[in-house]
Amino acid sequence: MGLEEKLPSGVLLASVEKLANWARRSSLWPATFGLACCAIEMMTTGAPRYDLSRFGMEVFRASPRQADLMIVAGRVSQKMAPVLRQIYDQMAEPKWVLAMGVCASSGGMFNNYAIVQGVDHIVPVDMYLPGCPPRPEMLIDAILKIHEKIKHEPLGPARARLKAERGEELALPPSSLRYARKKDRKEREAAIPPNEREGKRRSTIPLELLEQ
Amino acid sequence: MTLAHQKPSETAQTEVPEGHVRLTIDGQEVIAPKGELVIRTAERMGIVIPRFCDHPLLDPAGACRQCLVEVSMGGRPMPKPQASCTITVADGMEVKTQLTSPVADKAQKGVMELLLINHPLDCPICDKGGECPLQNQAMAHGRTDSRFVDRKRTFPKPLKISTQILLDRERCVLCQRCTRFSQQIAGDPFIDLLERGAQQQIGTSETAELEKSASHTPDGTPFQSYFSGNTIQICPVGALTSAQYRFRSRPFDLVSSPSVCEHCSSGCAERTDFRRGRIMRKLAGDDPDVNEEWICDKGRFAFRYTTARDRIRKPLVRGEDGELHEASWPEAMRLAAEALLKARDGKGIGVLTGGRLTLEDAYAYQKFARVAARTNDIDFRARAHSAEELQFLAAQVAGTTPEHVSFASLEKAPIVLCVAFEPEDEAPIVFLRLRKAARKMGTRVAFVGQWTTSSVRKTSGELLACEPGGEAAALDGIAEHAKDIVEALSAEGAVILVGERAATMPGLFAAVQRLAERTGARVAWIPRRAGERGALDAGAVPTLLPGGAPVTDAGARAALEKLWRLPEGSLPAEPGRDTAGILAAAAAGELDALVVGGVDPDDLPDPRAAREALDKVGFVLSLEMRPSAVTERADVVLPIAPTAEKAGTFRNWEGRDRPFEVTLQNTGAVPDCRVLDTLAVEMDVDLFTQTPKAARADFVRAANSVTRPAATPVEAAPEAEQAKAETNGHVKLSTWRQLIDNGSLQVEEPHLAGTARPAVLRLNEATAQRHGIVPGEPATIRTERGELSFPAEIADLPDDVVWVPSRSPVGVYEALGVGHGGLVQLSAGTAAGAESAEGPAGETGGAA
Amino acid sequence: MGMLDPIKGFGVTFSTMFKKVVTEEYPEVFYPTAPRYHGRHQLNRHPDGLEKCVGCELCAWACPADAIFVEGADNTEEERYSPGERYGKNYQINYLRCIGCGLCIEACPTRSLTMLNFYELADDDRQKLIYTKEDLLAPLLPGMEAPPHPMRLGDDEQDYYVRGPELARQAGQDRQSSEVSAQ
Repeated sequence: MGLEEKLPSGVLLASVEKLANWARRSSLWPATFGLACCAIEMMTTGAPRYDLSRFGMEVFRASPRQADLMIVAGRVSQKMAPVLRQIYDQMAEPKWVLAMGVCASSGGMFNNYAIVQGVDHIVPVDMYLPGCPPRPEMLIDAILKIHEKIKHEPLGPARARLKAERGEELALPPSSLRYARKKDRKEREAAIPPNEREGKRRSTIPLELLEQ
Repeated sequence: MTLAHQKPSETAQTEVPEGHVRLTIDGQEVIAPKGELVIRTAERMGIVIPRFCDHPLLDPAGACRQCLVEVSMGGRPMPKPQASCTITVADGMEVKTQLTSPVADKAQKGVMELLLINHPLDCPICDKGGECPLQNQAMAHGRTDSRFVDRKRTFPKPLKISTQILLDRERCVLCQRCTRFSQQIAGDPFIDLLERGAQQQIGTSETAELEKSASHTPDGTPFQSYFSGNTIQICPVGALTSAQYRFRSRPFDLVSSPSVCEHCSSGCAERTDFRRGRIMRKLAGDDPDVNEEWICDKGRFAFRYTTARDRIRKPLVRGEDGELHEASWPEAMRLAAEALLKARDGKGIGVLTGGRLTLEDAYAYQKFARVAARTNDIDFRARAHSAEELQFLAAQVAGTTPEHVSFASLEKAPIVLCVAFEPEDEAPIVFLRLRKAARKMGTRVAFVGQWTTSSVRKTSGELLACEPGGEAAALDGIAEHAKDIVEALSAEGAVILVGERAATMPGLFAAVQRLAERTGARVAWIPRRAGERGALDAGAVPTLLPGGAPVTDAGARAALEKLWRLPEGSLPAEPGRDTAGILAAAAAGELDALVVGGVDPDDLPDPRAAREALDKVGFVLSLEMRPSAVTERADVVLPIAPTAEKAGTFRNWEGRDRPFEVTLQNTGAVPDCRVLDTLAVEMDVDLFTQTPKAARADFVRAANSVTRPAATPVEAAPEAEQAKAETNGHVKLSTWRQLIDNGSLQVEEPHLAGTARPAVLRLNEATAQRHGIVPGEPATIRTERGELSFPAEIADLPDDVVWVPSRSPVGVYEALGVGHGGLVQLSAGTAAGAESAEGPAGETGGAA
Repeated sequence: MGMLDPIKGFGVTFSTMFKKVVTEEYPEVFYPTAPRYHGRHQLNRHPDGLEKCVGCELCAWACPADAIFVEGADNTEEERYSPGERYGKNYQINYLRCIGCGLCIEACPTRSLTMLNFYELADDDRQKLIYTKEDLLAPLLPGMEAPPHPMRLGDDEQDYYVRGPELARQAGQDRQSSEVSAQ
């Protein structure tokens, strides 16, 4: 919001941070970037069967100015790369990027001269979603994990430092377990490999903030 | 077979040349030289007969029976199918392979089924799976299922033949390629067929009773063949594997690249297989002119130094605290250039290149020395050397080509005389050629040396024994002692091979030249390291310019100045100092800076003085791959690329260029020539050696623009008389480096190190008795400087002479201060300070 | 266009309110995939806990996306990870490349590599999406022991492979009976 950058140290924005993050994650509007087969799954996710509007995300914006989340769905060719970057640049801060499918994440099976080997060569990626293509549930899972990340994002450098000092960590367990109804929980747990149940832990602080 | 009957009428007109025969294979008429095997004739015609045991360089065995064909002579069929790898062509022979004869096809299928009866189908875990002739053959022609229902024959596995070679007898198809290779080619018969019938197996005499001690030959000596790796490569199944490569990778995820061996001066063709930027294995390349299809174990297995953990990957600069710190290239270059410019305008710079450079890199070094450092103080000889040697090299060696002496001419020679040269240890492929020449062509091989080494034994050689240091006298007196050898040397094609060790024996080069002049024999010099020959021709010596012209030749200098676009008279005209001279000058403060390539002080005749010189000189720039005694003393260290990560050319001892391309691309490592080029630009000079290709083009132009003078006689060094000094109760030392020791290119190779010959002290029985030394028990040699202990072994050395390896593990020069021909005291028992003898081993890094 | 058309239109919306909802309530309610859905891989174990993987790299060879990296090594008597001579020392699957085609499963000669139905893999760290052997190995069931340990079910690997199905059945029965007795 700009303000947090300029506050003197000592002023903490714990509750403001919570409010801002709640607002941000509750109406995350995606910019469509359907490039290939993954886009079909992305469209399905938005359609009634999976209904992304359950998470406040029903409007896929064709205009980057109104979008917060860029879902890069499909392989990015070298020719598309500058377009993708331009659209990213046009999006208003704060913004997030989801690399959907292995092609967007790393080039996938297209290890050749024509395909960008991962969109993180062009834009910073907040969530990598494997799969070829990932099914809608996987996309929803990835989006919910982004929501979780947004929820814990520090507001400004002072908060970031404090969170780093506390050594705050964040785990991203499978969404179907995290949001499972109480009565299904045990059954879900049994179906998920033990080492996936907790999700891998990571620091809540974005690296670039720590380096400042 | 109507075809066959029709044909003769057509081709009857074609004359059968002398020594050839006419036969029919699969209905096609062919004329083949007498004595050729049917399988080869068929192969020339494009008819592939499957085979496992047949190998063009081994004697025929007919062991696997996979190549059965139907043969009839003059219309009369032979009663049974014949093995085409043992039967030679004959006039009127009619051969039908599996392509036209159901009998041959059925026979081959039957043999395949038989071979697979006991073969474990463990292709997924077998190293050969994916490149296995048996697998290919079974997939192409074998049955889809087995009729064999009983339990397969099994053996305990793997059986360790040596620390490196592992044998899996279950997979073996008893083709005997390995046993034939070791008997015929290498001459180390360590494995053989044992038992009979279904229990027949490859093994050593002890394997039948005692599995564990398989790494011993029948007479109980451990198996240390220098060529054992070749048995793995020629094994048609996965029965022989190396401990180094075992299970590390599969053929189908390796990328192969042709390369050239960087170890000895033979310049063997190799195939380097790598995976994700790491070399996984090396195989022998096929080059009939040089290494045929063989390489030594050092060339095959010693490559892990490129991935050694301590490899230097970023420039290092010595900081104020006296420690080396990582620095950026521009910073390191700037510091080095500043210091070198100051030194150049001060007392001068010395350049020591080491003997492992490619031709291009050596050329860049000498150009750097002459153009940027403005000095002739450059020498590639990081070992014992002499002025006499330099004269000999300039007169006899520089600029020679394979037309002078080559591997092929060793085979054709009536006699090869090896002087101060132990081929098996110093140039193993030369040894294989000598053995082949002796076995097949009847070449006489004679050695001027001290004892009947395995090279002498395995080449059926004659030993002209002399005292260490007495080689020159022995050559001069050869007409009296061995008249027949002189006669043989006078015959057409006779060859004298001189090793680099000759530089430690004053007067020997002159004696060699005198002998060559007397007899007309050709002389070839075989150094131990891959880069020495190239460095000589590139002009990385104090007295020669590229192309072999002397630096004193004003015309040659003018031509190079024109070529290199330098002002007239800017190339230094005075001959420079040699390695010893440069180090002495550095120690005495007559030089301000040293530029050092891959040099290990322990290889030099006086390691302590060398280290002292490096300590004393104002500025040391080291171009190195791994930390060494030089980098410890360097002010700036610039990392350079190992052979696998750069392109270049090794010029082998024949004078044959062995070019190779980059194997591992984009590692970020840069070759010496580029580092020197950039450094020179920092010093405001252009070398035009940005890439090896550019350096090579520049070298060729330079070498063509000068003329090499006619050979001049070599003057014996004045120290020649010293050899006759009083022995005073001392014994004389004979020594050379064994192939596998603790050289720095052999680091991180425990399996290879295990196949090294044990370090022993050899002496004759009389000397042993006189000093109370018991064979097998330790004996000690000592000088005022230090002492060395080894287990004693009896050999046929002259009286009062002992032999020890030069670097196993402690350098003889480092420990004793004397080398070949030196005087030492001999006594029984271990060294008093046995621990201290191990001390300097830690420092033995450098360019081995 | 008639006057009633807009009302007709809203009528569709209105009538939908009484229809059964088709939306999958994914995170809260989980609909199982088809049993052969190609999800995350798993490296299986023999009933005594030894690894089935022999490091043969056939999966890596079969992979069209070059997502698998395997390096084999020697089993020794002191350190045994799988029956037989060879085991997979290093095993990595890069899920940022894997397209889930299942060719690796078909290539596996020991049925070591199979696929689970688990698919919720999204992560924000490339490194974490390269699954190593520790991540991929099947969990130890009761009666299994973490390698390295000697072969428990026979003298050589033949016993594991020839009697494999029988051993697996037996281990399953043992587990069931132990569970029953525990209850």
